[in-house]
Amino acid sequence: MFMLGFPLAITAQNPFIHNQFAADPTARVFNNRVYVYPSHDIVPPEGARKDWFCMGDYHVFSSENLTDWVDHGVILDQKDVQWGNPQGFSMWAPDCVEKNGKYYFYFPNGQKIGRGFGIGVATANRPEGPFTCEPEPIKGVSGIDPCVLMDTDGQSYIYWSGMGIRGAKLKSNMLEVDGELQTMTMPQRQGGNGQQGPAPTFTVAGQQMEGLPDGFKEGPFVFRRGDWYYLTFPWVRGDTSNGANPTETLAYAMSKNPLGPWDFKGIIMAEHANHCWTNHHSILEFKGQWYIFYHHNDYSPRDDKRRSPCIDKISFRPDGTIVEVKPTLRGVGVSAATSRIDVDRYSIASSDVANDIIDSLNGFRGLYATLPSKSSWLTYNDVDFSGLHTGAYLSVCVKAAANTALVLREGNAKGKVIARVPVTVISQMGNFRRDMSGHWLTLTAPLEYVPKGVTNLCVTSEGDGLSIDWLKFKNRPDYFVPITSPTARPDDQGFIRRWMLLEPIDNPEANSNLIFSYAYLQEHLANKSNLPKPMPAMPKDGQKVKIGKQSLAWHAMESGTYNVRLFRFADLLQKATYRVCFWAVTTIDCPEDIPNVRLAAGSNGASMWWIEPAEGRTSENDNPVLILDSDRRMVADDGMSARLTLKKGRNIIRCAVVNGPGLSDFCVRFIDEKGNPVTNYEIKN
Amino acid sequence: MKNLRTIILFAFHCTLLTATAQIGAPYIHDPSTIVECDGKYFTFGTGGGGLISDDGWTWRSGGVRPGGGAAPDAMKIGDRYLVIYGATGGGLFGNHNGRILTMWNKSLDPQSPDFKYTDAIEVASSDGMEDCDAIDPSLLLDPTTGRLWASYGTYWGSIRLIELDPKTAERVQGNVEQDIAIDCEASALIYRDGWYYLLGTHGTCCDGVNSTYNIVVGRSKSVTGPYLDNVGRDMLKGGGRMVLSAGDRVTGPGHFGRTVIDEGVEIMSCHYEADFDMGGRSVLGIRPLLWKNGWPYAGERFHDGTFEIESERRGYSLELGVDFVRIAQERQNFRRVDPNEPVKPVPNQQLADVVSTWPTGEIAIRCSDYMFRPHQHWTITAVPEAGGYLGGPYFKITIAGTERALAATQDLELTSVPQYNGSDEQLWRIEQLTDGTYRLMPKRIPGQKEINTKYVIYSAGDSTPTLAEYDFNSDNSKWNLKRR
Repeated sequence: MFMLGFPLAITAQNPFIHNQFAADPTARVFNNRVYVYPSHDIVPPEGARKDWFCMGDYHVFSSENLTDWVDHGVILDQKDVQWGNPQGFSMWAPDCVEKNGKYYFYFPNGQKIGRGFGIGVATANRPEGPFTCEPEPIKGVSGIDPCVLMDTDGQSYIYWSGMGIRGAKLKSNMLEVDGELQTMTMPQRQGGNGQQGPAPTFTVAGQQMEGLPDGFKEGPFVFRRGDWYYLTFPWVRGDTSNGANPTETLAYAMSKNPLGPWDFKGIIMAEHANHCWTNHHSILEFKGQWYIFYHHNDYSPRDDKRRSPCIDKISFRPDGTIVEVKPTLRGVGVSAATSRIDVDRYSIASSDVANDIIDSLNGFRGLYATLPSKSSWLTYNDVDFSGLHTGAYLSVCVKAAANTALVLREGNAKGKVIARVPVTVISQMGNFRRDMSGHWLTLTAPLEYVPKGVTNLCVTSEGDGLSIDWLKFKNRPDYFVPITSPTARPDDQGFIRRWMLLEPIDNPEANSNLIFSYAYLQEHLANKSNLPKPMPAMPKDGQKVKIGKQSLAWHAMESGTYNVRLFRFADLLQKATYRVCFWAVTTIDCPEDIPNVRLAAGSNGASMWWIEPAEGRTSENDNPVLILDSDRRMVADDGMSARLTLKKGRNIIRCAVVNGPGLSDFCVRFIDEKGNPVTNYEIKN
Repeated sequence: MKNLRTIILFAFHCTLLTATAQIGAPYIHDPSTIVECDGKYFTFGTGGGGLISDDGWTWRSGGVRPGGGAAPDAMKIGDRYLVIYGATGGGLFGNHNGRILTMWNKSLDPQSPDFKYTDAIEVASSDGMEDCDAIDPSLLLDPTTGRLWASYGTYWGSIRLIELDPKTAERVQGNVEQDIAIDCEASALIYRDGWYYLLGTHGTCCDGVNSTYNIVVGRSKSVTGPYLDNVGRDMLKGGGRMVLSAGDRVTGPGHFGRTVIDEGVEIMSCHYEADFDMGGRSVLGIRPLLWKNGWPYAGERFHDGTFEIESERRGYSLELGVDFVRIAQERQNFRRVDPNEPVKPVPNQQLADVVSTWPTGEIAIRCSDYMFRPHQHWTITAVPEAGGYLGGPYFKITIAGTERALAATQDLELTSVPQYNGSDEQLWRIEQLTDGTYRLMPKRIPGQKEINTKYVIYSAGDSTPTLAEYDFNSDNSKWNLKRR
């Protein structure tokens, strides 16, 4: 499916939109994708009321897995609504439904003339638009928070909030309410401003929904499950006397009829713990699971008019009633191990774990969790490890006041250790003292154990406390690729990628590449004091040699790149990478004598190169064909042998590369007189 | 840069002035591109501080850049200055966890009331396991697109390219870093005439007089590469064409920065790992930046000496307007040359042979055929105490062996005065242009209040030099200095 939109870098947790505020999330399934149509809270611009809701346009977001979300951008702006106030910033909770391949987007907006809200319709051929706005709002629907129910018999209903919650049948054109309009008198407000004169009248469609409890209600969302219709709505249940200001719950009523009367059943979600005044929701079934979408002011803790959307699972009892939902930080969906996992959105945690916002001026930088002591822990459920390759490692973003360690386990605080991350914030090297206490640090660690499939993670602090923002598992590049054929050819540019590599030989004196003078190489490499003994003409994969006190194995390796990453070879084997000497050997099989070619090599650090016949080294071919001495970097075609002839049949190419503190590698090919690569031979090992 | 990255800047009073290095206390490592702010010049280095110069020639410590770490860069965007730096040490503590941060300031001058850095924002990082060390950043504001790019990295892996928002200096949303080179560090990106150039520092740093640091370049038609060298080798395979290496008693040039002074007048800044004349310290270097066949290369540091000043217009030589004094010669009829007679070299005409024939007062200046005569030989000598301009000191220009000095006149002509007296109209700013020629500019036109940055020695006619507005597109503005 072609998708016009921007993938959001962070995958879902609660809240699941991270780059902007988004409230009143109405979620719908179209074409096996979930589309979320929220209202779009913004920080009020100059001239707008600072402490009030401010929404001037709508975005739509979609996902195929409730984890990876795409922002399709603005689908409707207040300037595009002919009947609306272009500077009203009153584009409140919308809805969108599909009928016969057409998408109907219902939205409230302040009127251009007069007071109060109308509800408009915009239509499109695709769920993400472009939408075309009808020139007039729906007649007789005066209020906010439209919701449309598409019943199984083809009849559609619209519900909205305006002097209580009302519902009405929609005509089949989806643009008009079916039935007579009634004339009503505007109710007098208690404690009004004492205006005199007759109360104004207006026309209204549909009917009041009966059977709902007293107390402030808005945001109706009606859905059908089996034979039951559910009218769900934000509801203030608390005592408002004596100036108290209780906040909204999500509540519901059930009926066998789409327009009631309704049987009130109670609470779906209790009031937000932090006094975020509003909540507003939608409920849907997706791939066999029911979900509730709602909002909370996670990224704006000091201003509850800027809200962000969340998802949790919701379930029903056999009698159809709803099990109360406890909002989670974790949300829903499976997180790929290789995605950024915001573990401050934990599933459960020890009671001392606390959450805080990273940057109070920019909530979109997210939150972090603090594990204050050695016994603190948090778990994060449903992480998929199937995308991890051999050699993957852990990356964590943490801060600490003192040196400590983070341990990541599988399952729970006593689970198997996946990785240990030393959090060293204060260190000393000679006269240089580094104090990174209180700074966010991105740290890495190799994995001791790689879980399989989908599992739960547990973060523990093994020393003093620490704070964590996120973690992710990172695959390494394909430095080496599996060997799948008995022979290989040089690559298009002539580079030889298949080698037998010997595990690194310790060379403790090589603190710096500067020591690798010609004389040094002669002594340590050419004169064989560092040579594997006995040097096999062509070693076999797994064959071991003893060098000094080290017992080292040869490994058949094929490089994924033109250069052979010796450092990464050692690193993969968890061997020493610095202050070492590497040996590499390969055989090439030439169909005929190839005269007048040069061996062209580059290496980091210094290197020596030999070409030998298949029988192995003799005194005649003991002289290297090329020496790259001193502090070398791996530059392709850095040094060349004198012109030489590759003999018909087997030739052994052998090299030694010494490394001090570098990211050691080499590249080698044969080139002809004109500098073109030689490729007419096979590599056999 | 490997291992030891932190260079400690000493407040140091330098009494030994040489005319060829930057003077004052120009001690720095990894200088950022030189930026002008409120009439002063600024460059920041590894560690935290930076250098300030009032004239571009005499440098002192005193720049302020918080955040520590290695190798910053700076540039002006709109009315603000953007500073980018690596907050970490490049393996200093045995790891390659790097962080690149950006911050803004309305001024670079710590004395300015506007001087206040914004909070630094992280725009890139390396996690210690990947083939990258996120330090040594540099900036490029693409003049063709207005897009802002940064390169960073060291030998430890690749040089990477990222895009920043030029309004906020935050990372562009969704931008993925891209490898553009290996085998270098302290990289820099520049754009010129349809080409993007990636400069890198190759070789070994931090080994004093034995450091082999050198500056190489590759170029691309696209900012994202591939950057190829002069033999077509990708910088991702270690390619790079030399821009500047050791020589002239300095070793280890590194950390390129380009500053355009005027059309056709460019300089490159760098540091030398060791200046032999400055006790082997790491100092700021400024060289003319020349361009040939679409490739940049460093011009020579200008040294005192005696020169022919030859017009690019006609090839005539700047000379005193005195009578030509013939050299007496025993002429032989070429048909009667005796091949056995020993050859007797003809001596050069000497100053003493002719000086008595010259007027003693002011002598006019003209151009004529170069005949290597005393009235055509000019000794150019730095006058460090007279201050300077970006990259060089003012010079006096005198007839070799005399104190007769070239001078500007109030009515924008040239003359020579019998005795150099150090006045501004006798001091000359000498800059090598991007094509290798020079422009010569009097420090001040008599009667004018401001330091002169407009008028240069100019060929009004083949034989008639004057002072006129500098125009890079006219050979009349250009001169060749030929050492004699």
